Amino acid sequence: MIETHHLSKQFVGRTAVDDVSFSLRRGEIVGFLGPNGAGKTTTLRMITGYLPATSGSVSVAGYDIFKDSLKARREIGYMPESVPLYDDMRVKEYLTFRAKLKGLKWSGVTENVNRVIELCSLGEVRSKLIGVLSKGFRQRVGLADALVHKPALLILDEPTNGLDPNQTRQVRNIIGSLGSEHTILLSTHLLSEVEMMCGRVIIIDKGQVKADDRPENLIQQFRASGALRMEIKADGEAVQQKIAAVPGVRRAVREPLPEGWSLYQVKVDPGADVREPLAALAMQNQWPLRELSLRGVTLEEVFVELTQRQG
Amino acid sequence: MRTFFILLGKELRSFFLSPVAYIVLALFMVISGFSFSQAITLLQEKPSETSIVQWTFYPRWFFFYFFFLFPLITMRLFAEEQKTGTLESLLTAPVRAGQVLLAKYFSAVIFYIILWLPNLLYLGILHWVSDGRVVIPLGALGGCYLIILLSGLFHIAVGCLASALTRNQIVAAIICFTLILLHFLLGMFLLLMAENVPADMKDLVNYFATTQHMSYFTVGLIDTRAIVYYLSFSLLLLTITHQVLEYRRWKA
Repeated sequence: MIETHHLSKQFVGRTAVDDVSFSLRRGEIVGFLGPNGAGKTTTLRMITGYLPATSGSVSVAGYDIFKDSLKARREIGYMPESVPLYDDMRVKEYLTFRAKLKGLKWSGVTENVNRVIELCSLGEVRSKLIGVLSKGFRQRVGLADALVHKPALLILDEPTNGLDPNQTRQVRNIIGSLGSEHTILLSTHLLSEVEMMCGRVIIIDKGQVKADDRPENLIQQFRASGALRMEIKADGEAVQQKIAAVPGVRRAVREPLPEGWSLYQVKVDPGADVREPLAALAMQNQWPLRELSLRGVTLEEVFVELTQRQG
Repeated sequence: MRTFFILLGKELRSFFLSPVAYIVLALFMVISGFSFSQAITLLQEKPSETSIVQWTFYPRWFFFYFFFLFPLITMRLFAEEQKTGTLESLLTAPVRAGQVLLAKYFSAVIFYIILWLPNLLYLGILHWVSDGRVVIPLGALGGCYLIILLSGLFHIAVGCLASALTRNQIVAAIICFTLILLHFLLGMFLLLMAENVPADMKDLVNYFATTQHMSYFTVGLIDTRAIVYYLSFSLLLLTITHQVLEYRRWKA
């Protein structure tokens, strides 16, 4: 549905997107994750044809976004980040205008406008001015606009940004209810959202793709290279050095606990399970040991690990 | 073509929903009504070589208000959409930047034409209440409308360009006004210079001098050089605006 090949975008003095390649199959729901300023919005803008790429290419539903722009754009329903809308138009009027603009036949306009009003629960505000709507309603009007021409591909740039938990849930439910009719590329920095909705996640940082996999696989991968918790009653430079000397351990960080206990957060190499050697070490040195466990890794930690700035 | 009309309809609609349009319309009607009544008063006092049409359309204070029209009409066109970000949703819909540009341009042109229609009504009423004794010179009337339309096309294109350059409406208005004034002053300057330069240089004046064009056309003298000049410059300015719209996307 989407193919991006070595997509790059340079602004004056900086590279926003650097050699990004990925593809989406029909029917997939993909989360596009990254910290602020990672290049998410720029990438989405290149996919929708709003910004031309410095190099590389994008094709949507088989049409090149640059050479066959109008055909490609007809396949896309795009909701930009800030949900820009005309404040002086009424909801129904705006959706009708957008439906016509996107090339729906006259006969299909009313039908489709009513369909998305129903779908996004906009019935009560259909004849209100967009300017007076709350953020939650605006977001849903934006979503209705993206959906009005039944696009094969839906690109949503932070659809739940700035909403309260109830509104967030409403918007998620709408997106969830779309099911397999649409291919969805959803940018966000909310990890729970991705875990809940997306079958696949692409993590981007500093303009580069850092990971592209199913969320479960990413967590799996990182659990192996994750962290251990070790609580012992021993302290001192020597203890820390002994733990760090165990093969497979990258580093150990001590946090003091009450009553003389210490918690060591032990970072280990990928694939290494050092619980046994660590237990043996404690026995050998006669450190009282009360906990030694693999810590559950969340997608959040994967995200932090992948996107943390060095240093 | 259908896309163009959808966009044009939307633009016209937002013109007539904005308070600015009505303020401009009201102020302009006050001024043109005043010009018309002054024309009648003057012609009642003493005979004049100048016709009622010329007095109405091209009074002495013409340039004091004429140039203010264009920033007011055009400043909103692109600046507002760039500020609110709606240009992004507009240009990611299956429409061409050129269609958006032309729709905005012609919506402004249509509004501008509507501004000048009441004058026709005034003259019509005068002709009617005087039982046809006041003769309206139709040639001059046609000339007036033609030059007003031509210079309108040109100045609105200037305004479009100014509005595409910035996301701030006030800045757009100032750029537009400055460019229009510079163009006018250039014409004035050449006109004054023309007395001291070789004859073939004088030809140049006839292309640039706005005041010259006005005084020719308002007596019904149709100068094709001015027609070519305004139309070709409008086209050039629109082409530049189109490039600016495209370039902004390349840049940022």
